[in-house]
Amino acid sequence: MNKKIIAIVSVLLLAVLVYWGYSAFIAPKGEEGKKQVTIHVVISKENIDQKFEYTTDHEFLYDLLKEKEGELGASFQTYDFGTMVTGMMNYVADESQQEFFHIAVNGEDATTGPQEIPLKDGDVYKFELKNW
Amino acid sequence: MKNMKPRDIALIALLSASITAGKFVLSFVPNVEIVTLLFIVYTVSFGLKRSLLVSVVFATTEILIYGFSTWLIGYYIVWPVLIIVTWLMRNRFKSEFGYAAIAGIHGFAFGAFFAVFESFFYGWAYGFAYWLRGILFDVVHGVSNYIIVLLLFKPLARIVKMQAERFFAAVN
Repeated sequence: MNKKIIAIVSVLLLAVLVYWGYSAFIAPKGEEGKKQVTIHVVISKENIDQKFEYTTDHEFLYDLLKEKEGELGASFQTYDFGTMVTGMMNYVADESQQEFFHIAVNGEDATTGPQEIPLKDGDVYKFELKNW
Repeated sequence: MKNMKPRDIALIALLSASITAGKFVLSFVPNVEIVTLLFIVYTVSFGLKRSLLVSVVFATTEILIYGFSTWLIGYYIVWPVLIIVTWLMRNRFKSEFGYAAIAGIHGFAFGAFFAVFESFFYGWAYGFAYWLRGILFDVVHGVSNYIIVLLLFKPLARIVKMQAERFFAAVN
């Protein structure tokens, strides 16, 4: 049993080490201070194409979306792997129609969810309803 | 599958159901699962062919439950790979530490495998980002797999082997 306890403790220590390495070197880091950003929402089927300019101290996109949830008509769904944007301008993407909100940062496809997208001064975050 | 007997078909159905149920039981804890443990124990207890068929039924059941998506296709590869590796290594392992190592590596590599798989559909940049953002989940998966198999493999394998002998004695 002692051998097993040593093995389990070793594996847990290894996990802590990996967690520290991830937090220190890999995890996205936000920028402190005031930033001026644009949220652009496009829902073609509802004839919605609207831009919102915000000055914010938040470091990540999700925090800004949460703060402006009412104005942006945003809704979210939390999964094991993070929180996803499921609605904008009070329109909720219909999964049965293969709809989702595609996020682009300055025209480039975002590869992470809003919780990992850092806010940068002058950036444009576009939410467009698309089909997968 | 011309050598399949009714008892094997019944057994495969039962084992598949137990794995699906096992997945549901722990589905509220992200990336902590007993599916890996069950596949390892079943491979050692019931053999390669039956376990591979169980993995096919399990993957198909997942698609029926969650609907079709690209990551579910990966299930047809990732579980059979675990079964084949377990089968090939079974005679070399003298204790549960070897199986725990396989389970740990399988859990830790789970995200990397699906990242490569997703890359075929959405590009390498997406795959790399997918893997990076999931690293911590992979660590939880690998560590929990290691601990679960280390602690539960021996007692569970003993019970399952005993029941397997009873099952085959009863139906033969």
